[in-house]
Amino acid sequence: MKPIGKLLNVALSLIGVTVVWWLVATSGLISQELFPTPHAVFIAALELYEDGILFSDLAVSLGRAAVGFLIGASLGILVGLLTARTRLFAYALGPFLNLLRPIPAIALVPVAIVWFGIGEGSKYFVIAYTVFLAVWLNTHHGTAHVALTYIRAARSLGARRTREFFEVIIPAAAPHIVVGLRLGAALAFLSLVAAELSGASAGIGFRLQDARDYVRTDRMFVGLIELGILGALLDQFFVVVGNKLVHWEQM
Amino acid sequence: MTDPSRIAEPSRGPGRVEMEGLTITFKLPGGETLDAVKDVDLALEPGSFTALIGPSGCGKSTILNAIAGFVEISGGTIRIDRETVTGINPEVGVVFQQYALFPWFTAIGNVEFALKRLRLPKAERRDRAIEALREVGLEDRARTFPGQLSGGMKQRVALARTFASEPKVLLMDEPFGALDAQTRVSMQELLLRVWDMHRATVLFVTHDVDEALLLSDWAHVMSAGPGRIVESIDVDTPRPRKVDEVTEDFLDNRNRIMRLLRPDETGGGAEA
Ligand SMILES: Nc1ncnc2c1ncn2[C@@H]1O[C@H](COP(=O)(O)OP(=O)(O)OP(=O)(O)O)[C@@H](O)[C@H]1O
Ligand SMILES: [Mg+2]
Repeated sequence: MKPIGKLLNVALSLIGVTVVWWLVATSGLISQELFPTPHAVFIAALELYEDGILFSDLAVSLGRAAVGFLIGASLGILVGLLTARTRLFAYALGPFLNLLRPIPAIALVPVAIVWFGIGEGSKYFVIAYTVFLAVWLNTHHGTAHVALTYIRAARSLGARRTREFFEVIIPAAAPHIVVGLRLGAALAFLSLVAAELSGASAGIGFRLQDARDYVRTDRMFVGLIELGILGALLDQFFVVVGNKLVHWEQM
Repeated sequence: MTDPSRIAEPSRGPGRVEMEGLTITFKLPGGETLDAVKDVDLALEPGSFTALIGPSGCGKSTILNAIAGFVEISGGTIRIDRETVTGINPEVGVVFQQYALFPWFTAIGNVEFALKRLRLPKAERRDRAIEALREVGLEDRARTFPGQLSGGMKQRVALARTFASEPKVLLMDEPFGALDAQTRVSMQELLLRVWDMHRATVLFVTHDVDEALLLSDWAHVMSAGPGRIVESIDVDTPRPRKVDEVTEDFLDNRNRIMRLLRPDETGGGAEA
């Protein structure tokens, strides 16, 4: 689809969903306390905006996601390259990391709070952990499975280990690394909310929890929509940047 | 590297390849073994062009992979200019059937990758890369990524890249197999032209008898696997050769090879 067509598609789909939402909310079948109308949600968003909370929450959450993502992603790439290309790291870390994989971020929240307190540290830790695993796994896979002909061609063209690593292995693995980063960004959001649901005093996740205590479903919807929009924008960002970065392999 | 015992021989340049008793056995998953190549003796004169023909699975690619140092040999020796091959070695260039160009580098980037081992100053490296692309008629595509090139163009960049690093020996495994007939003919002519400028020793695997006779000084025919060389034909059709001028020699040689490749006769012919 052309960009214009795509935009039109998104707009039409969202309008359609909003109309259905409005019809259901005003039908009288469900209490509007539990299922607010689009209009009520919009008013709630305006309220939060006027209180200065909307954007400060956004900034706090984005900041946490960004720091956690950067830590997790850099470690993930580094360790992925090492476990894929050096025997020592593969044997020493591979089995351990594979055991970590099934542990969800949310299960780590209590541990993180005990270790790092309820400050920013525990949030960074939970987010970085999730991002790390996704990026590590993809980096490792991409780096370990570089096509044999590339390696053979590089060596018979006289490339030594360093050049082979930087000019062949890393670019060959790059598409997988980008996929890992994209997945990591999505997971950063999931774990962000998990981390903010307990022991936070600002952020989108905190606001959701706070709204629950006052049964403000309209405010909850604002938080959910924020998460949706942010996540989608971030994903698009990774697609665009990824396609530029690994232009020879379109995502 | 002058060796007194060789001085009397006609061609003395570098690039002599000698295989003696070459045997390559693969271990199969079930614990069995498979002889892909058994007891092959083959010598390539420096600067000569040799074609290797034989039924599918007879071990042609395996022989090339062994010379390139990609697979370990199980018996015998391979020597290049009297030095035993022990691994991948930039003196031996390889042109792959699937091109193996690096898609993240432009055409010129691919050629420069090969030139880097010569440690030239940057400007000179660039000039030589452009020159190499000019030899294959692609200097105006220097900045194009392989993904935007046709199959024939990719193979031309691959040729330029391999020749640029000045290998003594050039191995080609059905390099034009994936190309259409017309592109193939122009690639054959181009290969001969570029080879004439660089004069590496070429070993060329093909299924196409006409291609073998058009290109090579020697055509070796192999039996079904485990392959052995059953016949070596000295192709003395004078060069330059033309695709559209079929000589009597050519036809004689062609008939001879065709008979050898017929399955019912390869076995018998091999023992004779
Ligand atoms: N890595 C490998 N492991 C096990 N067996 C192999 C391996 N490579 C090749 N073989 C076997 O060795 C034999 C020779 O294979 P090779 O690829 O050299 O044949 P070929 O003459 O190049 O055939 P074709 O003309 O079809 O390319 C075949 O029986 C093949 O199955
Ligand atoms: Mg083959």
